[in-house]
Amino acid sequence: MARSTGLAGPAGATTDTTRGGNGTAGPARAVVAQTPAAHPGTGKAVPMTAGHAHDGAAAPDAGPVAEVVRRVRDTLEQVFTAVAETGADTSALLADVSEADRAPVAADLAALRPGLRARLAALPLVSGVGFVAAPGLLADVPGCLEWWQRGPGGAVRPLLLDLDPEHSAYSDYTHWDWYTLPRETGRRAVAGPYVDYLCSDEYGLTLSAPVALAGRFVGVAAADVYLRHFETAVLPALLRLPVPARLVNARGRVAASTDPAHLAGSLTKGPDFAAVLDGPQAEHHAGGLRLVPCGGVPLVLVTAAR
Amino acid sequence: MRPNGRPDGGDRAPGAGTARKAAFTPVDTRARVDTVVRRIADAIELGLLADGEQLPGETELAGQLGVSTVTLREALMALRQQGLVTTRRGRGGGSFVTLPDSPPEDRLRARLADWSTEELRDLGDHWAAVSGTAALLAARRTQPGDLRPLTRTVDELTAATDPATRGRLYGRFHVELAAAAQSARLTREEIALQTDLGALLCLVLDDPSHLAVLSDRHRAVISAVQDEADERARTLAETCVRESVERLIALRLATPGRAAEPRSEEDTHGQEHRARGARRGHH
Repeated sequence: MARSTGLAGPAGATTDTTRGGNGTAGPARAVVAQTPAAHPGTGKAVPMTAGHAHDGAAAPDAGPVAEVVRRVRDTLEQVFTAVAETGADTSALLADVSEADRAPVAADLAALRPGLRARLAALPLVSGVGFVAAPGLLADVPGCLEWWQRGPGGAVRPLLLDLDPEHSAYSDYTHWDWYTLPRETGRRAVAGPYVDYLCSDEYGLTLSAPVALAGRFVGVAAADVYLRHFETAVLPALLRLPVPARLVNARGRVAASTDPAHLAGSLTKGPDFAAVLDGPQAEHHAGGLRLVPCGGVPLVLVTAAR
Repeated sequence: MRPNGRPDGGDRAPGAGTARKAAFTPVDTRARVDTVVRRIADAIELGLLADGEQLPGETELAGQLGVSTVTLREALMALRQQGLVTTRRGRGGGSFVTLPDSPPEDRLRARLADWSTEELRDLGDHWAAVSGTAALLAARRTQPGDLRPLTRTVDELTAATDPATRGRLYGRFHVELAAAAQSARLTREEIALQTDLGALLCLVLDDPSHLAVLSDRHRAVISAVQDEADERARTLAETCVRESVERLIALRLATPGRAAEPRSEEDTHGQEHRARGARRGHH
């Protein structure tokens, strides 16, 4: 996440397509091996051919494609695990405070720190992790990010934000996609790629999940993955594909690419990627492109259709 | 700053907000004294450093800013002459922020007088290059939803009543524009530019007619980006920036009693400043 707020992040963000709620990994599904009859197409504005027998499980590149999907899913699922742990810690902490019959204050969130530091130490892919309180949750401050991040030298440090609207134009963090998507959908989400000028000034993804107390939304648990680290994690698998390929989010924003003509940050226009992600876990074709959703995480593998 | 919405602040001093952190990031080796003076004075003007607040010790502050203690002492001397810092000796001593009683606009004008017109022109060129390219790239990389933050910022800018808030929102628009360009580097560049420009822009945003023009221009940038008209977006963003800086330069020329002395040549080299006598503008 980035510097300050006040705006919906210019992110391409998407809610997770996993059914079944917060922080739960979707069932491991074979993504490319569906039979034509298994998915009727999305029926959305984008024309998609429903199933391609010649491109099914037996296709020569089914192996490398499946490997990309597995790699992308595993990469993001380990980050979602850190998010889910942070959310669980926060829920437990707030429940304890609530049982003690008092309102939580910002200092209560200090109890999250050992867990946050441990997650940063264990996951090199994650550069920032924490809990972002819904405004009004804490009795002593209007808003709060208990957020820890890895600095340039690798040192783990708390993010200290000026959230006073008198001083900062970025004090309202409730417009960022990593906040609004879990709040509005009740599900975990991937925001970005986007430039985070609230926390890190980096280009990356923020994975987040809603935190609830007695059924009430009280904030989000989240973790940052800088795009360069995400690229390092997925590029080897992408490079094993026989054709240039890219991973795009639900809004068509490229998150990683081996195609010099379609680099990270650019938009792939045309296909309705959100519909692909909402639809059956199967390969689609649209506008001369082959689209494979990355089962359970909201990214679509895009290559030229052959 | 105080109500920073954070628990006691871990291992760092409470209230080191991001903008404040920016104020204490290392400055480059050119024009160090002037840069340090501007940084700290801007932080005071923008309320990032509060009246009466104690500055870190000389060694620590020099370290944070990446300058020598000699340079820092020169800068503190200039700040004392501007009345923005008071230094007390002895036990419980140190340098403290003092807000002079003069109206903020007078103080900002004094700050503006520390810039030469050439420096302001160059700052404007740099800013136009960054914002112009940001607008161009944003137009090529825009998608539905990317522009909501910018629209909200222009709405808030139009409604804002005090120049300081307007200055912050003006800066935020350009940071958001660079973020919409999907460029972390351009975004960081805009943030750094706002460190120099933030306080000064308050001066040109005091004029309601200019504010109205600016709001319209910013809306035009948003429309061009939305239409994916990349060159038009670039030209419009550059025009926004140039007009504001031209106004600043006009104000600078109209600011009396601050005729510039020649700058010492060390300003443009990487060497340490010699101790200088009364600094330009502070006698």
